[in-house]
Amino acid sequence: MTSPQRKRAPRHWSAISESGSLRGIQLMLAIYDRFGARAYQGVLFLVGLYYWWRRPIARRASKEYQKQLKAFCPSVFLPRLTTVRHFTTFGTAILDKVLALYGRIAPESIQIEQRETLRAAIDAGQGGIIVVTHLGSHEICQALGRLRRDLKMSVVMHTHHAQRFNSLFNDIDRPLSVEIIEVSDMGPATAQRLQARVAEGGFVVIAADREPIEAGARRRWIDFLGRPAPFPEGAFWLAMLLHCPLYLLVCARQGQTHHVHFESLGDATGLSRRERSVWMDNTMAHFVTRLEHFCCRYPLQWFNFYPFWQSEKQNARPPR
Amino acid sequence: MANTSLTELERDVANMIIEALELEDITADDIEPEAPLFGDGLGLDSIDALELGLALQKRYGIRLDSDAEENREHFASLRQLSALVAERRSD
Repeated sequence: MTSPQRKRAPRHWSAISESGSLRGIQLMLAIYDRFGARAYQGVLFLVGLYYWWRRPIARRASKEYQKQLKAFCPSVFLPRLTTVRHFTTFGTAILDKVLALYGRIAPESIQIEQRETLRAAIDAGQGGIIVVTHLGSHEICQALGRLRRDLKMSVVMHTHHAQRFNSLFNDIDRPLSVEIIEVSDMGPATAQRLQARVAEGGFVVIAADREPIEAGARRRWIDFLGRPAPFPEGAFWLAMLLHCPLYLLVCARQGQTHHVHFESLGDATGLSRRERSVWMDNTMAHFVTRLEHFCCRYPLQWFNFYPFWQSEKQNARPPR
Repeated sequence: MANTSLTELERDVANMIIEALELEDITADDIEPEAPLFGDGLGLDSIDALELGLALQKRYGIRLDSDAEENREHFASLRQLSALVAERRSD
């Protein structure tokens, strides 16, 4: 199907090459292992400068985000050389992701802010959907799967797109309790698999702050930091179809500590079809409000380096 | 217009679709057995497909394989979906 948005595809995030090449990530990991965190930060700053110079789309996206953020929460502190620092913070987060997937994040450095909520969610045995975002590095939370062996997760993601990143990890020991599911395969068979996951008290992890790749995928425009931006409906639909609770998980870094935030976004258990549209409105709006809250708290850790807001008119699709 | 060409199983599957998706003002006999369920025919969409997958399992105990292409054929029309049910039901 060739729809008008095809033409604009080069500006969609999926079409912007993951410029942090595999080789680059491996090199950076080697620097970290051989010369330590300080050397890593030094080299990272140079890499940040290079990106600032060579990646105008990412640079402009970062600036646009900073502008929206400043207008939305004027008290937010942004250090000098903000955009370069935004990139270097991303580089630090990538290292954290890699270390997390290798099981090399020390449990002492992880601080779970709502331990009780998390424990109750697991122990209730009801399972649920866990919404994650591109703020911080939620991969840290896969480390939780190592801490609690009974925590079973299915992570729904764009594996085709992240393939290069994932190919780093062929040799990692991913906990058996974590299953990766390709988001574009989402169909009746996948729905059954995810339902089985939830039925056994497990969790489905899915991001909710990146525009869907698939043409015709459902999304809606919601005010984010003061301007409407497209958000995917997928995670919220899953909660409604599987009739289960919905949680938000954010893992961001402050100094040497990884703060894990885990909170309830809503509960679709027993929700009737008639109630869906209202529930969707309220829950998505609540999600975006929380995302804004965390952006203000961790200003340089939101990593969507593509034109997030876009032009509403350009992208409007007929209602389905 | 009444359609008398439905087999008993097809009628059963049609009722499952109607109940699972709470289609209003439509009965099993309104569904053309050969017409596409998605898009132009009955007008179902991708979310409806997920719900049908869950309903198939609940009603007939059918576990679908993850082969997307094959599922597309099974879900093409009421007749094809009924053929799948006839073959794979374990309720």
